[in-house]
Amino acid sequence: MQISEETLDDVQVYKLSGRLDSNTSPDFEKILVEALENGSRKMIADFKNLDYISSAGLRVILKTTKALKRTEGTLVLCAMKDYVKEVFEISGFDTFLPIVADMDAALGLAQK
Amino acid sequence: MKSSKLSIKLDGQLSELDKLCQHLESYCGGLGLSPKNIFETHLILEELFTNIVSYGLTPDQKHSVGIELNCRNDTLTIRIEDEGIAFNPILAGKPDTNCRLAERKIGGLGIHLAKQFSSDIKYQRKGKKNILTIIKKIGDA
Repeated sequence: MQISEETLDDVQVYKLSGRLDSNTSPDFEKILVEALENGSRKMIADFKNLDYISSAGLRVILKTTKALKRTEGTLVLCAMKDYVKEVFEISGFDTFLPIVADMDAALGLAQK
Repeated sequence: MKSSKLSIKLDGQLSELDKLCQHLESYCGGLGLSPKNIFETHLILEELFTNIVSYGLTPDQKHSVGIELNCRNDTLTIRIEDEGIAFNPILAGKPDTNCRLAERKIGGLGIHLAKQFSSDIKYQRKGKKNILTIIKKIGDA
């Protein structure tokens, strides 16, 4: 999996390509933990090129979301493939995580 | 209608997931499964394999996990066999998918997903073996 990172205003934007599974989730977690330790509060994960996610990936996202809630921060997810979105819906993650169609919408939400 | 089989043996270690993924990729691709079905099949196998390796196998012994996929008409049958302690991964508690963020726990989610994307999952203990049989309908996606 490849993760690119950029900062737009005060929002950390991560673009993931490939698979977020048991093997690759620790890499994403490391990046997010570091960002949290550096005081990042606004994050976007762009899933446009994400082909796969398993519970390991969901776990990392849940941990990050909980940590951000403590600082009144935000994580927005965008541009998911349909079957990836279904995983979030089945898990009930869509009830506490903003999931939007594209980066524009994500930036709009994150910058509020 | 065509019938196609895949038989692989993996070491009981999470590092084997890449190997599993590669095998699945070529098998599912060869069958012409839809991206959605390929995704779900990968997910079912990763979640169950991870659970078996993490909770069912003792780290001190060398274990292998046998995986067999069989596709016939619109039904994919998956069989996962291991010789660890008697362990049924599908008994994992159902996560409360309705509860609020603060209360959400992480456990049980993988099995929940595997169940959601399968038509049926059955566990058997036969002698020293744990056998999981998963049925997945692949006709409509």
